[in-house]
Amino acid sequence: MKKFFLLSLGVILLIVLPGFTGQSFGASSIVVAVDTPPRTMNPHGSDADANLSIMANFFEGLLQRKAPDGKLLPALAERFEHPDLLTWKLYLRKGVKFHNGNPFTGEDVKFSFERLCNPDVSEFINTGKSIASIEIIDDYTVVIKTKEPVQWFANNLHQLYMMDKESTEARDPGEVEVKPIGTGAYKLVEWVKGSYVKMEANEDYWEGVPPIKNVELRPITESSTRFAALVSGKAELVSGVPVELYEKVLQNPKLDVVTRPARRSIFLALGNKPGSPWEDIRVRKAIYMAINEDEIIEKIMRGHAAPAAQVPDPPTIGYNSEIKRLAYNPEMARKLLKEAGHEKGFEITLSGPNDRYVQDENIAEAVAKYLAKVGIKAKLDVKPKSIFFPQVARGELEFYLIGWFDGTFDMGRTYFKLAHTRDTVKGFGGLNGTNYSDPSIDTLLEPTGSIVDREKRKKVLQDLNKMAMVDKIVWIPLHYQQDIYAIQKGKGIKFQPRPDRWIVFKEISK
Amino acid sequence: MYFRPSLSQTMVTYIARRLIQGVVVLLAVSFICFIIFRYSGDPVVTLAGRYATLQEREMVRKAFGLDRPFYIQYTRFIANAAQGNFGKSFVSRVPAFDLIMERFPATVELATSAVFIAFTMGVGLGVLVSLKPYALRNRLIMAGSLFNISIPTFLTGILLIMVFAVYLGVLPPFGRGETVNIGFWRTGFLTWSGITHLILPAFTLGMYQLAVLLRLTRAGMREVLTEEYIKTAWSKGLPPRKVIFKHALRNVLIPVVTMTGLQFGELIAFSIVTETIFQWPGMGNLLLISIYEADQPVIVTYIMLAALIILSLNIIVDVLYAYLNPKIRYD
Repeated sequence: MKKFFLLSLGVILLIVLPGFTGQSFGASSIVVAVDTPPRTMNPHGSDADANLSIMANFFEGLLQRKAPDGKLLPALAERFEHPDLLTWKLYLRKGVKFHNGNPFTGEDVKFSFERLCNPDVSEFINTGKSIASIEIIDDYTVVIKTKEPVQWFANNLHQLYMMDKESTEARDPGEVEVKPIGTGAYKLVEWVKGSYVKMEANEDYWEGVPPIKNVELRPITESSTRFAALVSGKAELVSGVPVELYEKVLQNPKLDVVTRPARRSIFLALGNKPGSPWEDIRVRKAIYMAINEDEIIEKIMRGHAAPAAQVPDPPTIGYNSEIKRLAYNPEMARKLLKEAGHEKGFEITLSGPNDRYVQDENIAEAVAKYLAKVGIKAKLDVKPKSIFFPQVARGELEFYLIGWFDGTFDMGRTYFKLAHTRDTVKGFGGLNGTNYSDPSIDTLLEPTGSIVDREKRKKVLQDLNKMAMVDKIVWIPLHYQQDIYAIQKGKGIKFQPRPDRWIVFKEISK
Repeated sequence: MYFRPSLSQTMVTYIARRLIQGVVVLLAVSFICFIIFRYSGDPVVTLAGRYATLQEREMVRKAFGLDRPFYIQYTRFIANAAQGNFGKSFVSRVPAFDLIMERFPATVELATSAVFIAFTMGVGLGVLVSLKPYALRNRLIMAGSLFNISIPTFLTGILLIMVFAVYLGVLPPFGRGETVNIGFWRTGFLTWSGITHLILPAFTLGMYQLAVLLRLTRAGMREVLTEEYIKTAWSKGLPPRKVIFKHALRNVLIPVVTMTGLQFGELIAFSIVTETIFQWPGMGNLLLISIYEADQPVIVTYIMLAALIILSLNIIVDVLYAYLNPKIRYD
């Protein structure tokens, strides 16, 4: 028996011991662990930022954005003209080749934009449908006309990736979903779902060969495991460090922490159903003032957030620096409620996701507690995002927590989507989850699409934003999130986070 | 000699009846799945993209056939499933069945390793403990097994990662390591890195079963060791190895082996948690991500497949029992 015991012990030790050999990484390779696994290698198949970020390494848009500020720069188009409200004339870069050797031309641009309309392969149907015609003038000049004026058209071009017409049509659709052929700085080596995405540098890349030759992208959904991967040296760069583990990472001498204010703001959307107590601006103010945002940031976000006074972040067109937060003042809130005739309070349902944003459920819980202190009974209704977002899309909620940032850096689009009265015919208000409706906002918003002058348009959007946040309190802003990354120290990794949280490997060096 | 029935008339009807029952159960499972998903999120919102208008969403709904009435969607699904077509994943837009089969080897290898660890260590320690039940070391082992049964898998996994991967740094914390492709089967058994990556998750997954088998073996051994024929064996002067393994353990193993087999299905089900902690690229990991993303075709296919596997195993076991044991009547 002793023998048996010793034998099994011996077998285990035998297996365990050789694990001591540590892993080493070559100078021109990097292992990156991210929190979200890739969904598809079809660049139009997912509009989630996590996927767009991975696609940005294999594919390119006509324009691109670069770290650290996300400035819009030329990519596959060298320049563009915007002669009238509907027309965009694009001059394509010459001599660019896809990974399979095919040259990039106007045909590919036309094909890629038309592909956006196909619901079988695209989540960019809205963009695809906004285009009226695509005309190929010659191999390197394309004119795109939109149906309505789309002011943010160019701002969106960095995430509308160009595909090779010939190979995309010739290949099996299933293969297109897993094997990317783009013009990007990296080529796919192997994608094992759930394990890793391996890529190698594109030696023919038009911007020059990227400094890191081999990249291994590791999705690790469980945050404590991601942390373990970093500490044990199995990953060199990790995104999505949870706020609970921040201190631990900071204390670890082997690690460096990089933080960046995120573009995404977290806010509360509050309906204005006629006849409801919260239709009254005094009640809306009271709810705003009852919430102690500083405490939320300190206790729940552990300092990793910045208070927000509006939904768009500073680089977004329409951001208005004059808007200030209403200070936390429960006394005043109670007084306002009394004035509005709700001294005894009322009941409201506060909904929100519990698997989407940093500490989302805890924030919603805290808000409900603050409201209880001024007499408002907020019934908490948090649920998985897969159930929550369809409810937002159907406009079924009365009060909910949500986060937002606009990939086009244009607040106009956000307002049409989130604040305009729901309108099936014109396609407005698709994510106006409370059925919020205010004609004065709608009438101010609608003409913004056709203002030609950039400065003038910016001014109108800023005024609109101020009216919505100060006079109407369409939303109650809470905070901007912070993105936290951790890096292995002493390996010379140079990494600058981007405002959109994408990790574009050609921007990293080692 | 036992009387062995040939494949008689009654046997054939018995098998036929079990198969029909199986089909009915599968239909019921699929029906329940469908009802649940009708009320658990709307895939169209993601499929159409964040900026889709209400009209565009309806267009997508039509394109995916999600605007049809429930019974039409359901019958279409059953008709397709009968031909082995389980539909395309909403998220990755490739056939759901292929997605699951791609992950199948990883889960099977993990579950098999877990069973192997649980069985060898469970039975080994069980025998050891039964010989001197009151020795301090054996009491500690028993206490440890109680600990194993009561600790949730999630915690075991994280603790193991913290100790072996972070503090000691001897084992990798996540993933499958290097793998080798044999046809469609991607195996981690053939590389050193594959095996080191397997240890922690296999232990985590097998821990509970290990404890159960240990206690089962110990109880059985303690009972058998007091039997007359064991005393006879000792008094004949047989070496301890022979008495314990040949005479005693053999008789104890029958319920232990049955238990191991029965729990194999459970291991695959429990693997969801283990696979998530260790980022093990198996089916459980896929299922959890699919649930987060409301990827209905993948979830339904997974549940149908799981039901199919468990049902088939049950039917095979029942039929074999009926065939092998004349005492069992099959009417």
